[in-house]
Amino acid sequence: MLARLTSKWSYLAIAVLFALLMLVPFNWFLGHYTTLAIFIGIYTIVTVGLCLLMGYTGQVSLGQAAFFGMGAYISAILSKTYGVNPWLAMLIAAVMTGAFAYIIGYPIFRLRGNYLAMATLGLGLIMWVLFRELGRFTGGPDGMTGIPSLSIAGFVFNTPFRRYFLVWFFCLAVLLISQNIVRSRTGRALRAIHGSEAASESIGINVDQFKVKILVLSAVYASIAGSLLVYHLRFVSPQLFDFLASVRLVVMAVIGGLASVWGAIFGAGATRILSDELLLRFGQWDIVVYGLILMLVMIFMPEGLFVRLKELYERLRLRYKRREA
Amino acid sequence: MTRSVILETRGLTKAFGGLVAVNKVDLTVEAGKIIAIIGPNGAGKTTLFNLVTGVHPVSSGEIYFQGALLNNVPAYKRASLGIVRTYQHVHLFENMTVLENVMSGRHARSSYGFLEAAFRLPKAHREEESISLNAIKYLNLVGLGAYAEHDALSLPLGQQKLLAIARALATEPRLILLDEPGAGLNTLEKRQLSDLIRNIREMGISVILVEHDMPLVMGIAEWVIVLDSGQKIAEGTAAQVQKDPKVIAAYLGEEVE
Repeated sequence: MLARLTSKWSYLAIAVLFALLMLVPFNWFLGHYTTLAIFIGIYTIVTVGLCLLMGYTGQVSLGQAAFFGMGAYISAILSKTYGVNPWLAMLIAAVMTGAFAYIIGYPIFRLRGNYLAMATLGLGLIMWVLFRELGRFTGGPDGMTGIPSLSIAGFVFNTPFRRYFLVWFFCLAVLLISQNIVRSRTGRALRAIHGSEAASESIGINVDQFKVKILVLSAVYASIAGSLLVYHLRFVSPQLFDFLASVRLVVMAVIGGLASVWGAIFGAGATRILSDELLLRFGQWDIVVYGLILMLVMIFMPEGLFVRLKELYERLRLRYKRREA
Repeated sequence: MTRSVILETRGLTKAFGGLVAVNKVDLTVEAGKIIAIIGPNGAGKTTLFNLVTGVHPVSSGEIYFQGALLNNVPAYKRASLGIVRTYQHVHLFENMTVLENVMSGRHARSSYGFLEAAFRLPKAHREEESISLNAIKYLNLVGLGAYAEHDALSLPLGQQKLLAIARALATEPRLILLDEPGAGLNTLEKRQLSDLIRNIREMGISVILVEHDMPLVMGIAEWVIVLDSGQKIAEGTAAQVQKDPKVIAAYLGEEVE
């Protein structure tokens, strides 16, 4: 009963959110906020995957930019160099990235905790080096330009305004799917693994398999986001997927509250606004601020800023209600 | 009347490096009984549980469950065969509510996966309904129905232990292994626990418990197996075992000639 009620509420919340998001570009018509909103949408997709992996299942990834970059580069190379339809390229990228995650999943999840963190960190670094050094395919450190746009039946997503709707369509689909997964048998199994692997096995949960599956899902999300990123920028370079990129992704997930699907929008939003608006002039030094935020959030509100704000809102609402009564 | 055997071990041995924790143990556990395994600290009781539930691989010997060899069955598959356990250190899912903990216990008795969940297909709806109905049933069985929406860790230890049992029962086991269910409970809670264990037996589920609390063991166990230093040194009814000189020696640390 309670679960049904809350899920009805969350669908209402989704509808309201969607309506609001549709209005945003009209408010700042074609302004630079449309571009910002596109970035927020793209990074939200990656962050949701990271929340499922880290927040729900408790498996750290410091190399999520590897999957993000694979999606970007595979789409870029296939669509530009080989003239593959951009949609097909995006699909192939997602399948290849997912398959890659599946193959590395079983060996990598023999590790736990700090060791897993180090292994994923290594993965991110290796991919970054490959993006830089496989110059014949990737354009090396300079990257690639002139990547084609996505289009549907002659309608080309060649303006930020059009891409805004495209990106947020994918973003909301990913959020909805993730929320459904979280509130299911699968979601409970993932949280159970986080809670106690021993107890999970004893009640019949195939722990290794679930870890690999959620890694694959998060990799596919990251790959889709990477493809959207290159079709938006129409340009790709290894800098977008370096170690700091992985750290920024973790910061987004942490600010949003690791175990909260909807917090991902908040985390990605807050971080992108900070990067693109407030810290722009500091260039790569923004990472210092992120490091600080990461430390403060972990120390003072390990559940995440978003979750804490939600609690605060609930408390204020209760107090207000009591005063009225 | 035929006596059916639910669990049997032959020459079961587990060595950790040079330490032999379980040494050539032969057990025959009759179905539908409450069996207690007792013994001093380090006797190999918990290791024995870990072997039966697949936490550790067997060094040598065999385990048969309902006549079928269990040795190479992975741990997570044993729940669907009908073997489940609880832990000495409860191991609740602390990031879940009381009800969700028990719902997790339905994992092996449901089957819908990522795709059905992601798109809320009819199968997901159907199974989810039966999962929550069953979970509530088992929660009521252990008397925690009123706490369904509480955080699992907000319960006092006694109720946490009951919750762990409810989660285990939700897997619909044929055999349940309870690792020190009475540890840390007060007298009233222990009495409730004894009633619950008898209740479980009435449901046709065989119970094996490892327990240090002798009054609790003597009150409910129909058969007692005594381990010492990894070996079975005695078995019988509670009264028989209590009088066994080898058992007394093991507990008091005396040498038997």
